[in-house]
Amino acid sequence: MKFLVTVGIALALLTLESVVVKQAGLVLGRIDVTVVLVAFLALRATLLEGAFSAFAVGYLLDLMSGQPTGLFTFLAVFTFLVGRLVSTFVDVRGGLSFALFAMGADVGHGLLATFFTWLTVKDGGTGPVLAGLPVQVALTGAAALALFPLLKRFEAAQDRPAGLLR
Amino acid sequence: MLSLLKRYRRPLLVGVLLLYPLVAFLLSGRKVRDPNPIDRAVIAVTSPVQQVLTASIEGSVSAVRHYLDLRGVRQENDTLRLENLQLRASVQALGESRTENERLRKLLGYAEAAAGPEIPARVVGVNPVAKLLSVRISAGEKEGVFRGMSVVTPDGIVGQVIRATGSYSDVALVTDTQSRVAVRVQRSRARGTASGAGSGPLKLENMLRTEDVDNGDLIITSGTDGIYPPGLVVGRVTHLEKKEHGMFQGGDIVPAVDTSKLEEVLVVGSPYSAMAQGSAAEGASK
Repeated sequence: MKFLVTVGIALALLTLESVVVKQAGLVLGRIDVTVVLVAFLALRATLLEGAFSAFAVGYLLDLMSGQPTGLFTFLAVFTFLVGRLVSTFVDVRGGLSFALFAMGADVGHGLLATFFTWLTVKDGGTGPVLAGLPVQVALTGAAALALFPLLKRFEAAQDRPAGLLR
Repeated sequence: MLSLLKRYRRPLLVGVLLLYPLVAFLLSGRKVRDPNPIDRAVIAVTSPVQQVLTASIEGSVSAVRHYLDLRGVRQENDTLRLENLQLRASVQALGESRTENERLRKLLGYAEAAAGPEIPARVVGVNPVAKLLSVRISAGEKEGVFRGMSVVTPDGIVGQVIRATGSYSDVALVTDTQSRVAVRVQRSRARGTASGAGSGPLKLENMLRTEDVDNGDLIITSGTDGIYPPGLVVGRVTHLEKKEHGMFQGGDIVPAVDTSKLEEVLVVGSPYSAMAQGSAAEGASK
């Protein structure tokens, strides 16, 4: 996927999620839409394109988190690289396998985010965040299932050769 | 050297993309950096979209709710009329007390505390990361909102501004695990701290075991943290625990404001003192 399109999708998804979270009043169970996007990049994008896109997606998440510290930017690039590595061992083709792949990525992402937050804040309660992780991973899996066809369509639209006759 | 750089250009670039934010995070730690021009530009682009989406979704939801609410509107109207009468009587009585209070203050030569502005704002979105419970509101530096100012509703306190840009601000909620508010019991004036617990009630801490506090007591801000103005409602005490040993007693405080259903808020406090207390405000939200 092209860099700008990825950024656009991330922006739209994060904005939509923020509104949905506000309406649903989900205090701890969030949907990690950016992890879904990064997982897709890990499967489909080239190394450089994916790393830049993951960086941009993470930066956006950092910015919308209210406390931009760089943590989510790092985690997005890290998740992309690990996802890329894992994708060489597993075969992810359908929506269901992609959902499982994204859920795995979300578990790693969530645990690392909690660990790094604990590392810097120490007195902050990590318990509520960890307790909310299973719900968050399940919601992210559901989001991945729903987003997979959409992301594939976006990708196909960009890979189409230019010209009038297609 | 140049050929080496050319050869390993890709892994080097990826390494920079990976390590730059990590180093920035480890160096800054828990400190929140001020928004740079890129941050401001991105917020300026995304926030209006958030606002439009919020408005359209809320519009649809409220249309459905209005239709459903029409059934009980007559009965509710009667109840409200009665309540209005009672409230008018209370306001009249309070007006008398206020006049008397002002007269007595003048007699005693008290200085008038300068009240800061009250800036109304709408909640346009919720932070999509569970690490920090915060919301974005539709008022920023242009409206006179600065980091450190308090955010309230008529029911009680909501949180504190942690970042302000052109027309939008981010507000850390009192329920966030990093939030600490200096409070007192309205009835007995006993002092303590209200700490956020992530979700549900706040925790009542640092209240001496000998202090007079009971379940159901109203907790208000004490103003001693220099962040929240004194006298704002925080919530009510429940599950009070008085242990046999130890210096302090603890309990839960059910917040007066349901922060998961916020729509409109007021930003209060003097922007000048908020700017001066920038670092102190940061400390209070942690």
